[in-house]
Amino acid sequence: MKEILLKIEKLKVKANGKEILKGVNLQIKRGEVQALLGPNASGKSTLAQVILGNPKYKITGGKILFNPASEKIRYGKREKELINITKFSPEKRVKFGLSLVWQSSPAIKGVRLSQLLEKISQRKIKIQEAEGLLEREINLGFSGGEKKISELLQAISLNPKLVIFDEIDSGLDIKRLESVSKIIRKELINKNVSILLITHWGQILNYLKPDLTNVILGGGIICKEKDYKKVLRTIKKYGYEKCKKCKLR
Amino acid sequence: MAMKSVKNVNSVSGKGSLTEMWKKQSFREVNFWQVDHKVKNIFEVKGITIMSSPDAWRKFSWTRKFFGEKPKEGYFIWVKRETDFPLMTCITISSPKISQDLRNLLVIEKNIKAKANVICNAKEKFLCGKHLARGKVILKEGVFLEYNHIHKWGKKDNVFPDYEFTLEKGARLIYNYQNLFPPENLEFKTKIHSGERTSSNLNFIVNSLNSKTKIKDSVFLEGKNSQTVVRLRLVGRKRGQIEAVSQIFAKAPGKGHLDCQGLLVDKTAKISLIPQLVCQNKEAQITHEASIGKISEEELIYLATRGLSEKEAIDLIVSGFLKKIK
Repeated sequence: MKEILLKIEKLKVKANGKEILKGVNLQIKRGEVQALLGPNASGKSTLAQVILGNPKYKITGGKILFNPASEKIRYGKREKELINITKFSPEKRVKFGLSLVWQSSPAIKGVRLSQLLEKISQRKIKIQEAEGLLEREINLGFSGGEKKISELLQAISLNPKLVIFDEIDSGLDIKRLESVSKIIRKELINKNVSILLITHWGQILNYLKPDLTNVILGGGIICKEKDYKKVLRTIKKYGYEKCKKCKLR
Repeated sequence: MAMKSVKNVNSVSGKGSLTEMWKKQSFREVNFWQVDHKVKNIFEVKGITIMSSPDAWRKFSWTRKFFGEKPKEGYFIWVKRETDFPLMTCITISSPKISQDLRNLLVIEKNIKAKANVICNAKEKFLCGKHLARGKVILKEGVFLEYNHIHKWGKKDNVFPDYEFTLEKGARLIYNYQNLFPPENLEFKTKIHSGERTSSNLNFIVNSLNSKTKIKDSVFLEGKNSQTVVRLRLVGRKRGQIEAVSQIFAKAPGKGHLDCQGLLVDKTAKISLIPQLVCQNKEAQITHEASIGKISEEELIYLATRGLSEKEAIDLIVSGFLKKIK
């Protein structure tokens, strides 16, 4: 049985006085690929930012548990090794093995992508699609596709245990989506790294075939289904608004 | 106060880079090195006269019009021949409560290409020294000079540099100033007199941390077709206060541009920035751009999700901010 890497229990989150997440439960095992689908403003990106520790969001209830220990220590002590990471800074969470691919990443003027990579990791990852980006200023004037490649390269360089992809498929054409999916499979999934794919449209699921698909609506996860095709079909047929009445629930 | 001079006249074939010298703290190859009030070393090379300012006042009467009054201390460098290595000067404060009053003069003869690395520093953090330096740099016709001015002070020092550059016909100047460690008080004045067909490129990098900094740079476009570009990058760190006035006076048909940018890194920092253009010639073109910004929270969070601490993230963002000038 695969061990649990991330366990979110009854997570409640506020931002600017408004409750965004209203008791989210989510569990991801080592090496597992999960998807999180939801319409705009359902809380998808908030969940990603909160897991990484963005101080803009205030946790009003619940826990985020993560297993940061190394293989040797963890052996035989699976559940006990989970620790509540809500008190840890984002950079500490990254060191535990969490990584986030941002949906909309800011530009860092005057700093080359290669400079940042040297600073955050000793691993040298070669991705053909990223070669033209290395000597450019981070995200400055990058196209949508270039930003996604840059994000992916940074996430892989961090040697993560779990990568959260916040809408990596938005704004990508079919060809680019296919190549991004191949990189994710080769560099992460095949190396037993866990994945949480946050997506609005769900196209990327056809390439990465998640083990479990979650649907978030109104700040809570309302559906968990092993067959992602069923979920995509249902959403296509009824739309997110009718998910509450869905037969899959 | 009488100055003691030690003179080593040598010929050299080459020199280490500024960074190398800085790393090794080896000052043997510095052309003029003064510590407190004492001339520690003079390293003269063929075609370049180097001596203390009081000696120059005595020996060369023509220097008196540049010094104005009889100097107590400082250096005189007269470049009559081109060399393939940079000139290097270093003025150091190494004892407590020293008050330096320097008059420096650098004269470069016609059509010579030169580079000068000029370092002013304190040996320790709490010497409470005072460094007053009035300098004149004369670039004769057709000279090209790259002048790198580096400050590295203690936390309680008071520093008052006042430099005046005269660019004769066709001379070109690249002036780079950087304060690696700011003193408690820095009042820094720079004047550039630009003759016909001259160009000057001035780059100031100013860090302010627990310090008060006042900068005033003025470029006078006095000759026809003279050009200048002035770039200021001001970084206000913890309890850092910067007041900067950057001016171009166009008296002749020349071109000039001011590019002044400030970055507030800490909430206790303050930057005041005044770009000023004064045009007295209808054919001159002078422009400016100025802005003061802060580091965005989003950038900090973004870099935190790459595993960087707040300090590491700020250092990286500041290095990017300053990079445009380097």
